[in-house]
Amino acid sequence: MSGALLLTMLTLGGVGLYLAMPGGRLNYGRAALVVLAGAAALLVALVLPLLGAAGQRVWFALLAVVGLWGAVRVITHRRPVYSALYFVLVVIAVAGMLLLLQAEFLAAALIIIYAGAILVTYVFVIMLAQQAGGPAGYDRRAREPLAGVLAGFILLGALATRLANAAGEGMNAAAETDGGVGTVMNVGTELLTHYVVGVEVTGLLLLVAMVGAIAIARRRPEPSEEGEVA
Amino acid sequence: MIDVLAQAETQLPLDLYATLPFWPLLGAILTGIMIAMRRKAEHAHWPVVLGAAVSAVLALVLFFDLPGALKHENLSATLAHNFENSSGSAEEQAAELMTAFTEGDAAEHAIGDYPGFTHTLYNWMSFGERQSLDEESNQWIAVNFYFDGLTGIMVGFVTLVSLMVIIYAIGYMRDHHMHPERGYERFFAFMGLFVFSMLMLAMVGNFVLLYLGWELVGLCSYLLIGFYYKKPSAAAAAKKAFIVNRIGDFGFALGIFALYMFIKPLAQPGENPLDYEVVFRYLPAIASEPSGFFEMSKATLVALLLMCGALGKSAQFPLYVWLPDAMEGPTPVSALIHAATMVTAGIYMVARCGPIFAESQAALNVIVTLGVIGAILAASMAMAQFDMKRILAYSTISQLAFMFVALGCAAPDVAVFHVFTHAFFKALLFLTAGSVMHAMGGVIDLRYFSGLRDVLPKTRRLMLVGCLALAGFPLMAGFWSKDEIVHYAFEYHPIVGILMLATAGLTAYYTFRMYFLCFNGRKRLPAEAGDHPHEAPPVMLRPLYVLAFGAIFAGFLGVGLHVSAGHSFLGFLAPHGYFHTYLHDSSIVTGLRGEPGGVGLMYVSAAVALAGIALAYVRFGKAPETDPDSVVLGPLWRLWHAKYYVDEIYDAAFVRPLRGLGRFFFGMDNHGIDGAIWLVTAVPRGLGGGLKLLQRGALQGYALGMAIGLAVLLVLWRWWETGAN
Amino acid sequence: MLVPYLLIGATLFVLGLIGFVTRRNLIIMFLCTELMFQGIVVNLVAFGRYPLHGNVPTLDGQAFSLFLLAVAAAEAALGLALVVLLYRYKGTLDAGVWTLLKDD
Repeated sequence: MSGALLLTMLTLGGVGLYLAMPGGRLNYGRAALVVLAGAAALLVALVLPLLGAAGQRVWFALLAVVGLWGAVRVITHRRPVYSALYFVLVVIAVAGMLLLLQAEFLAAALIIIYAGAILVTYVFVIMLAQQAGGPAGYDRRAREPLAGVLAGFILLGALATRLANAAGEGMNAAAETDGGVGTVMNVGTELLTHYVVGVEVTGLLLLVAMVGAIAIARRRPEPSEEGEVA
Repeated sequence: MIDVLAQAETQLPLDLYATLPFWPLLGAILTGIMIAMRRKAEHAHWPVVLGAAVSAVLALVLFFDLPGALKHENLSATLAHNFENSSGSAEEQAAELMTAFTEGDAAEHAIGDYPGFTHTLYNWMSFGERQSLDEESNQWIAVNFYFDGLTGIMVGFVTLVSLMVIIYAIGYMRDHHMHPERGYERFFAFMGLFVFSMLMLAMVGNFVLLYLGWELVGLCSYLLIGFYYKKPSAAAAAKKAFIVNRIGDFGFALGIFALYMFIKPLAQPGENPLDYEVVFRYLPAIASEPSGFFEMSKATLVALLLMCGALGKSAQFPLYVWLPDAMEGPTPVSALIHAATMVTAGIYMVARCGPIFAESQAALNVIVTLGVIGAILAASMAMAQFDMKRILAYSTISQLAFMFVALGCAAPDVAVFHVFTHAFFKALLFLTAGSVMHAMGGVIDLRYFSGLRDVLPKTRRLMLVGCLALAGFPLMAGFWSKDEIVHYAFEYHPIVGILMLATAGLTAYYTFRMYFLCFNGRKRLPAEAGDHPHEAPPVMLRPLYVLAFGAIFAGFLGVGLHVSAGHSFLGFLAPHGYFHTYLHDSSIVTGLRGEPGGVGLMYVSAAVALAGIALAYVRFGKAPETDPDSVVLGPLWRLWHAKYYVDEIYDAAFVRPLRGLGRFFFGMDNHGIDGAIWLVTAVPRGLGGGLKLLQRGALQGYALGMAIGLAVLLVLWRWWETGAN
Repeated sequence: MLVPYLLIGATLFVLGLIGFVTRRNLIIMFLCTELMFQGIVVNLVAFGRYPLHGNVPTLDGQAFSLFLLAVAAAEAALGLALVVLLYRYKGTLDAGVWTLLKDD
């Protein structure tokens, strides 16, 4: 992939994202969408030739576009609830991509845990902390959108050029292997043999997190003028 | 045997005399302790009074003891000298010695030696060069006292007058209800300190300690002039006194340095080149050598520089401007410091350094010139003032100028005599003026009161005595001393003599102008005087009687009884008496002219004084409310009343430029130097301020920064990689 | 085969970063960090499936991702609890009110 193309893609993406940011004097929603769509299409078109099987390409294209679209809406939507819902969309798209990568267990785990647990928690908290009457002021305007978009896309450019040249021996490893790659059995075996210490530690981590969550939840803070934590 | 003879013998041990200055100091320290312990002020005066009394007693004993001791010592020195130069067998020499000792006359001076001896208390500072620290130093500045006739006289009248003034102050420093004023204890502590300083000045035996005493009296003067420190005019007057003195002291210090420079090559190891004895011994040898400055001889250079100090301390032209302002201090301060004692320090110093001045006619001429100018200037200014204390201050300047003229006419004994008599009647005058001020509720301006003859009879009589003495009324103390000065002035140069005679007449005139305006005429009282002003209490009056006694009879000490064929009946009382003999025999103050004055001039001075008094009576006897002189003399009178605008001239010529210079340097320091430092600190501050902007406390800002940093790193890494490839 | 997944992962990560930096709502900021996690997961699994050394897919990336999942869950729970606390203190979810670190 040539540099000029990459630059064009990035520029289009950046401009589009900036326009899509909430608030500000520029609020060309439709123009933003068009530009972003162009960028995404370009991206996908660029990477597709690299994929092998045709079926993979179709699925990948679909999932990539949906995932990117969801991500953009997460960060640009004014209302937090919608951000959370779009995030669910992103999770589903990522799970799909994981399926493409033959990581079935992980895909399932991702959906269960993220969409099923974490996002639910998020939605609950959003509703708890809701302000009356429409999106609050701090949601209406993005904070330094220009600096953020610029920094982010420069980073993306750097990362992309680096990653695009990633070459490995197993880059075109066989699509099918015996016994699957990321099956439950394989993953389970792997976890309980090679990574057993990590499993135990994770268990401990979850215990600590639970205790911590209870401890924090028990506090009854007084709303005060100064932000002094009691 | 020579050593035994060389020891001076006094009735009391010399160490006891050496304690003379320290009794008032002890009193001052005790008073200071009382202040620190916050004792009631009622008895705060006792330590200083007792200290001054002890010193006075010791001084009296010393005065009578010294001639005998000095005769002894001088004789021994003469004998020692003769012994070294004589020849003959041991027995013959011993016999000679014994004869000379028992029958000898102390009037002979050994070559280069003067009567007087130094008694060392202890070695204070070592100085000079040493090859290593282990070497013992053999050059010391010692705390030593020089005893001779001049010391005896100075110490005698200083302690006596100080004691009288201090006793007077016990009554003066109180309010109408006889409660001590605020700062009563502080006053007495400072007075004690002052008496100590003055006695040190008069008694020490080397120039370093003389300078110490000199500065100390200046300090006490500052402290006491500014006693009412809350009053801005008093604080300003104190500063003025100190600063003007400092100018004179600068010259004085330079003179001491010059003296050191000249004497040092001649002094033996172990001798301090600044000891009086050493200086007087070696000075004649080098006195006429050129000094390298403007073709002055060494003696002239030293003399002129030392004279600067005397000009400052004794308020002579051009450094007299501080003395009238010094009247802001309480009246006892004016009486003691600025009339009787401190201001005479300059005269004392010139008299003490007689040998130096005697070698330099040029310096003597300068002294006479300045003295004449000062005398006439001050007398004219006194004629047009209304503040009684100011009149007396200008009178002091004028009288001190008289003494200067006497010194310049090479008659230091006459000058010292006038110092002696002047102390008594000037202190008396100031203290009686103080009584008037006390009775008038603090008002001392003659325009606001008159006709006090029945209100203050005793004070009036005392002041009359003082005025008569000052005016030179025949047979009073002032008459004798002033007459002698006029005589020697005539001998120096006729014009000088006429000018001094005229000034004497002016003195009588303005003195009695003051007296008549105060006590004669219609009785007028200022509002501040209250219901009925009363006489001074006994504690204030009794010392005045003592001073009045001195004002009348002290002059007779200098009068000789000449009953002999060469003098007519009218001339049997003539100048030159015990006082002068005392000085001649026992000190360096020899009165280099040495002859007693003529009798005819005496009558002329008497006539001039009486004429002055009569003229004053004619014009002021009825105490007119407008000064007739101001009408008759018009612009001249106004010039005198404005003190010749000298203060204004000095202000414009010196004070303002210096202040401007000071402001310039202050600005340079403030903006220039401080500015440079500020610049140095501004750099880190600026950097910090800039960096501070990064620390907004906003988490997202930090994240953004991290992202940007990561992006930059990656780009750079990529670049570096491609570059390396 | 590897590169597209890597690019998508990088893009998701950067989008999450932009969102974190840009939004002022505390909860949405957290959500954006989760978005970053998504991108990371994709990358990790892609590296595992198409390893750089050897031509046999490994499960390292997936194991890593599972642990990541657990950590993310714990973090989300605790983080949201804290966000609720912070909301109770100031009455607002605006991240801009929390400026205690600012030097004034």
